[in-house]
Amino acid sequence: MAHARTTQPVLTAQKAGLLGCRICGRANPGAAQSCSRCGAALHRPGGLQAVMAWLLAGLVVYIPANTYPMLRTKMLGEETDSTILGGAIDLAHHGSWGVAGIVFVASILIPIAKFITIGYLALAVHRRWPMRGRLRFHLYEAVEFIGRWSMIDVFVVAILVALVQFNLAATIAPGIAAVSFALSVIFTMLAAQAFDPRLIWQSADTDTE
Amino acid sequence: MTTPSDMEITPPRRSFWRNLSPVWLVPVLAVAVSLGIAWQSFADRGTLIEIEFENAAGVVAGTTEIRYRDVAIGMVETVSFTPDMQQVTVGARIDRTAAEALSAQAQFWVVRPQVSARGISGLNTVLSGVYIEAALDPGSVPDGSRRFTGRDDPPLVMPGRQGTRITLRAPDGNRLTPGAPILFRGVEVGAIEAPRLLDGAEGVLVDGFIEAPYDRRLSTTARFWDTSGFAVSLGTGGLRLSVGNLASILTGGIAFDTLTDAGEPIDADTVFELYSDEDTAMASSTSVASPDQLRIAAEFDGSVQGLSPGAAVRFRGVRVGEVTGIAARQVDMGPAPLIRMQAALALDPSAFGLGSEASPERLMAFLEAQVAAGLRARLSASGVFSTSLVVELLEVQDSPPERLLRPEDALPVIPSAPSDLTDLTTSAQGLIERLTELPIEGVLQQAINLMEAAEDLLEDEGTRALPSSVVSLVDDARDFVGSEALQALPGDIQGTVGDLRAVLARFEEQRAVETLVETMEAVQGVAANIDSATTEVPALISEVRRVVGRIGDLDAEGLVNAARDLLNTADTFLDDEGTQAVPPALAGALREVELALAELRGSGLVDEVSETLGSARSAADAIATATQDLPQLAERLNGLVAQAEALVAAYGARSPVNEEALATLREARDAARAFAQLARTLERSPNSILFGR
Repeated sequence: MAHARTTQPVLTAQKAGLLGCRICGRANPGAAQSCSRCGAALHRPGGLQAVMAWLLAGLVVYIPANTYPMLRTKMLGEETDSTILGGAIDLAHHGSWGVAGIVFVASILIPIAKFITIGYLALAVHRRWPMRGRLRFHLYEAVEFIGRWSMIDVFVVAILVALVQFNLAATIAPGIAAVSFALSVIFTMLAAQAFDPRLIWQSADTDTE
Repeated sequence: MTTPSDMEITPPRRSFWRNLSPVWLVPVLAVAVSLGIAWQSFADRGTLIEIEFENAAGVVAGTTEIRYRDVAIGMVETVSFTPDMQQVTVGARIDRTAAEALSAQAQFWVVRPQVSARGISGLNTVLSGVYIEAALDPGSVPDGSRRFTGRDDPPLVMPGRQGTRITLRAPDGNRLTPGAPILFRGVEVGAIEAPRLLDGAEGVLVDGFIEAPYDRRLSTTARFWDTSGFAVSLGTGGLRLSVGNLASILTGGIAFDTLTDAGEPIDADTVFELYSDEDTAMASSTSVASPDQLRIAAEFDGSVQGLSPGAAVRFRGVRVGEVTGIAARQVDMGPAPLIRMQAALALDPSAFGLGSEASPERLMAFLEAQVAAGLRARLSASGVFSTSLVVELLEVQDSPPERLLRPEDALPVIPSAPSDLTDLTTSAQGLIERLTELPIEGVLQQAINLMEAAEDLLEDEGTRALPSSVVSLVDDARDFVGSEALQALPGDIQGTVGDLRAVLARFEEQRAVETLVETMEAVQGVAANIDSATTEVPALISEVRRVVGRIGDLDAEGLVNAARDLLNTADTFLDDEGTQAVPPALAGALREVELALAELRGSGLVDEVSETLGSARSAADAIATATQDLPQLAERLNGLVAQAEALVAAYGARSPVNEEALATLREARDAARAFAQLARTLERSPNSILFGR
């Protein structure tokens, strides 16, 4: 694959009227509905609608995730609400630059980067922007890989809420943002999954044609 | 195997909508949910209100809650100042439901921890920080007010509590702390606020609140007094210590009670007087103090010792005011200035019964009219044995016409009348002296003696063994008691006493007795001289002595006869030859006697004297017999009674008849005892009846 860009035209499965199975990789006849080897349903590289829809949903719920409080901390009768960004800033104010950095990266940078990446990939495929398919594939792999780690914030909230319940002295309750953030992560993961990496190669092939 | 043929790929031209994937529902739902959340939080945001505080210590934006009945209804958002920097403006968002109920009557105050004698409050705010408490009046109509003025202190009464607000007037606010309880027969029924100074007048006003079921007790007959602390009083009933409840001791307290149930309901702006103690409160004629008192002065010539500020001013015996000050005042600016004592009086117009709209001006007019009709101020003692004075306003009959002076620059002066204090003192002294002279101890001793004698008699065996002639004894007793002599005795004595008085009066007029006695004494002296001189003389002397003795004994029956005898004897004696031997001195003396007698006779006095002496004699006789008889009578009666009693007792069985008989007899004995006492008193000083001494 490193020498994909050759001057000679290469016969691709698509051109040959074959459809690859995403589970076992067998090339099936184009008209087949299910894989002749593993029996899994065969998906034709479809549109980008599902990607865009999941991405939009993730973006929408990401807004309340940042504007509403993530944690409601009650200490000695004094109640404080903290949003994700507010929490990171508070931590930075208290000198915990490391933790503040982790929170900021995991909860702000990465989700935003995911939105941008998935959006870029979808647009690039849709608009047939010229680009090297390999780079795009790496981007896609990175998004897929990071997706499962984006729930750190939600896990932290869940653990804190479960542990810190000392009635009068200190109580922590989850805010609306926790649910929103979890939804946002789920939606972006679904968006990434809905994206068919074959489209990258398809567009890369058409580029080279 | 055939090679796959080229596929004709003709992408179908499908419509945009049919091209849409159902997965687009997800972002639509997400938007909808997000918008829903956003709308809900906007809706829950509450209404912004502004409260102005004098002092907002501890109020923090974003932390301080607004609470109503201890439930959070909002949160402070901003703390800023009014444009003139005089007040703190607190902006807060409160729940819509609460905001809808807000009216202009809503009250807000900052709850802070407070430690006072009445306890600790707001302790929870030590940890959680202060909060702003709201009080909404359920009776008010919500009018959408959004700007309020905060209070410095919690209101005395939460809006909506049923009850009556009252206002009390007190001389000072020393023991009136805000929140001190109002007690009704020991039950806390309300509380007071902080006292505030009266404008222009003396004293303070303090507002209070009495809760609903108890405020029915309020009427024009309600009396309020201060129960704070202890009260110790020493009176005829002994030492008395009054202690209120503990809270009252620490913070002061007010109690009230009603004199009668007949009071009229009070008005909203009634001002009650706060008395210093219960006795004063209950003794006062009026509870509803007029807001304004009439201030006048009274001037007195003499000393005002015993009059002190606070002393009562009475009008026909009813307290209508008090003395507020005493000062000396120079009246006449001459070389010998005249100083008068001036007492400033504060009079309560309502106490005069001038109606509810009584004003000082009306009282002034009333007093002017009364002074013209004879009303005067006078000092008088506050009690028979008291040395403290009160000022009395009373009508003095036939007083010289005067009028109420109204100087421009001083208090109006009411004319005064001289006091009768000295008379009272002397008459009291006389009364006491007379009381000490009463022979109480002697009488008691006699009574005791008599009782002892009676007991001895009753216990004597002999009396019990008497024959059973009860009937005759009782008859005897009845006869004796009913005898005319006994019945007539008091009349007799009275008659004789009257006679004697008349006699003595005549004697007094004519001074005859003195002359006579003098003469007789002279004769006696002469007679003593004669004694040794002649043998015939002793007869004369004895005669003279008899006369003198008789006169001394008031034995006037034979006095005149004796005097005549004496004269005759003296005549014969003088004519007698033997008399010639009598020394000339004796002769002279006898002549003097003769002369005196002759004068007596000649002046016609002798007849009169004999007459008067005769009646005096008879009177004295009557008294003598009476006096002599009385003890006997008493003894006889006593004896009779004792006998009878013993007999009745000896009869044995305590039948009802016996009981009655015994009772009768005891009464008879009491009568006998009284007679005995009378007899003894008469015996001792027969004159006492005559002269009242």
